[in-house]
Amino acid sequence: MKPGGKCPTEDSEEPERRQTEAPFSFTPQLVRLHKDHELFEDGDIHRHMYLQDLYISQEDEPTTSVSEFACHISGCSAVFSALEEYEHHYNSLHRHVCCSCRRSLPSARLLDIHIQEWHDSLFTVLAQRQDMYQCLVEGCGHKFRTSDHRKEHLIRIHKYPPDFRFDKPKKDRGTRETKRPPHKDIAMEEVGDVCESEGVCEVMCDVLSEQPEPGESMETVVEEAAAHLTKAAAAGEDAGLSAAVHSKECLNTETLKPQYSYRVPSTVCFGRGSIRGFRGQRGRRK
Amino acid sequence: MWRLNRVRHKAGRQGGSSEEARLKRREHEKALRQARRDRQLVSKRLLLNEDEEQPEVTMDTMSGEQDVVSLLYKLQHSGPERETHLRALSNTLRGPSAQLSFIKQENSMHLLVSLLTGSNAQCRLHAVRCLHELSHSPHTNVAPACLPATPYLLTYLSGQSTKFTELCLYTLGNLFPDSDIVKEKLLAQGIIPALANCLENQRHNLSVVEAVGFTLSQLLQAKDAAEKIIPQVLASSLPTQLLSVLTPDQNFGLAPAIECAWCLHYLACSEDNRELLARGALLQCSSLLLSLGDAVAEGKKEEGMELLVCPVLRCVGNLLSLCPVDSLSTQVGDVRLAAAVCVLLQAYPHTQPALARESAWVLNNLTAASSDFCSALLSLNLVPGLIQLLPFSQGINTMVLRVLANIAHKKKEFCVQLAQLGLVSTLCATLKMADQEMVTLSLEVLFMLVLSTQQVADEFVRLGGVSLLEAIQYNSEGEMRRRAAYLLEHHLLTHSSDLTVDNVP
Repeated sequence: MKPGGKCPTEDSEEPERRQTEAPFSFTPQLVRLHKDHELFEDGDIHRHMYLQDLYISQEDEPTTSVSEFACHISGCSAVFSALEEYEHHYNSLHRHVCCSCRRSLPSARLLDIHIQEWHDSLFTVLAQRQDMYQCLVEGCGHKFRTSDHRKEHLIRIHKYPPDFRFDKPKKDRGTRETKRPPHKDIAMEEVGDVCESEGVCEVMCDVLSEQPEPGESMETVVEEAAAHLTKAAAAGEDAGLSAAVHSKECLNTETLKPQYSYRVPSTVCFGRGSIRGFRGQRGRRK
Repeated sequence: MWRLNRVRHKAGRQGGSSEEARLKRREHEKALRQARRDRQLVSKRLLLNEDEEQPEVTMDTMSGEQDVVSLLYKLQHSGPERETHLRALSNTLRGPSAQLSFIKQENSMHLLVSLLTGSNAQCRLHAVRCLHELSHSPHTNVAPACLPATPYLLTYLSGQSTKFTELCLYTLGNLFPDSDIVKEKLLAQGIIPALANCLENQRHNLSVVEAVGFTLSQLLQAKDAAEKIIPQVLASSLPTQLLSVLTPDQNFGLAPAIECAWCLHYLACSEDNRELLARGALLQCSSLLLSLGDAVAEGKKEEGMELLVCPVLRCVGNLLSLCPVDSLSTQVGDVRLAAAVCVLLQAYPHTQPALARESAWVLNNLTAASSDFCSALLSLNLVPGLIQLLPFSQGINTMVLRVLANIAHKKKEFCVQLAQLGLVSTLCATLKMADQEMVTLSLEVLFMLVLSTQQVADEFVRLGGVSLLEAIQYNSEGEMRRRAAYLLEHHLLTHSSDLTVDNVP
């Protein structure tokens, strides 16, 4: 019962060239159903219950079901029964996501700072010689030589709690780091015009609620989920996700990486409020 | 509608243990679903005795089997008490093990047939009742044992006694699905012409009409019906007869129309339903649907009405799919049919989602081919009601969205009207649904609307559509990503003020 394959023709005002490229294929279709079609199942059952003297009026057994909403971000399997829940979920967890490491940050500014401090090699170099760590409080403007100094500042001056979630220094995590080998950054610099994200830009939402990670920094991702996804993808289980690999040119330099990487071409405009990732050149241009 | 009345009493009596009853029903329903998946969904009907209100639960014990043996003995050797013994036998034969015991006895069927064809009318009646009980057996080896009686049952179909004819019919209808041998024999013995004659002669006797309908429906559901049965049925007078009794009788109730409608549905599903079109089936079914829709709209929703609505909807749906477009107006007649189908669609999404889904399917077939129906939906102000159905799942919303897409596809003016009715903001919600087909269809509809007028694009952007489409670009489905990307690039981003320097390479 899927629609057939012609582009709409008569309504379009687009020039010919564009029209043939448009990936839309809906055409009205007459649908014929044979007697054993699954669409007919419920009606047939009702009929036979009647024949077998088991009919009851359906008024007392309402069976409505309402369509669910689901997060689009690939790999996030969150599902909602109300639109507001979806909105809240998306805004909380997917708006400011670092493409490189899939971490979700609560605001654009913190995302910027995260990207700079964690994924910008230039930052690392400069930080050896100058004060680069910005105060997290907007408008403060102070910069510090190390993240510890900044943390002290936040606690002393701005009265932040010592265990503030969004200011943890980048640690050398064993298993996680090995998933993303260091020369990834180099690869990204070579491909200047696209943001290559290794994993899918997403947050493992359903695992989220189970354990907030202690000692991790400005993110809300859980590694078990990432590991699980990697395993699944590597096993080629998720055909839908692996299709993503083929849809754009894949410059994965590591064969062991998860199979579901996206690349987001720079021609797509994202604006401030959405998912961004590390773009090697961008960091440079500043 | 005598059957439904009886069932209501039964259900009412079991009101005390309603939770138990509900559980049992659910179990039963599950079994039926599995049977359908295995293509083995078969039902039998038991015509109750006049004094019975519900089938008595017979104690299925050893005594039943012994009773059979002793009764048979008595029947062979008695004179005037035969009637009594026969009656007792028919009661005993309600038990499955008694049924098995009966067919094991030598000459038992031979005896029964002689009583069936004898000169005593009461004995004939009781004998056919015995056969009827046997036909209702859950054991499939009972039916072949009844074969000696079938030629006579068929002959009696042209008789005049209502009760007797009914019993013959239901017996035949029960026997038919049980084995291939029985099917073969009955077809060879001319069951189809016999049914046609019976229906023709007894058209005004609605109990008999109901019984013929049931029996025919048993034939038409057979696995190989398409090759062996349907061509013969289509060639006979049966389709015309069925169509003529389709309108329910006020006094008698829906039951005969229900049976005939199901027969027509099985016929309309076949490859060969042009024959049906030629006999005016689409016109007849459409006008029936129109009157059913009117009745529902006026609040006169009769109990069991959905049992009739369902097969009629299906007939219309399938006949539409083969109807040549240019003859659509003569075949279907009134565009108000669209309104009737919408009424049905909106009457059932809570209680019978399947019926709502099937109504939406019919609307799809109406709007796919015909611009007249599309414009009727708009001019009769039916679209807002359709839009309100888009939250409902189980296939209802995908079909409804398909209908809206059909309308949008016809003309730009229709797109404009759809946009004015608030479709754009609804699409912002449907684009977030879990159902992939909904999202893809929403993108298609959005594309058509956007092409029609600038205002749609503006409105969509105003409603936050750009970030919605951006999110879709992270979806795992390539089909969705491509469409969303195209819309962003070619139609929406020229409006967006979000273009930043960062993105320029």
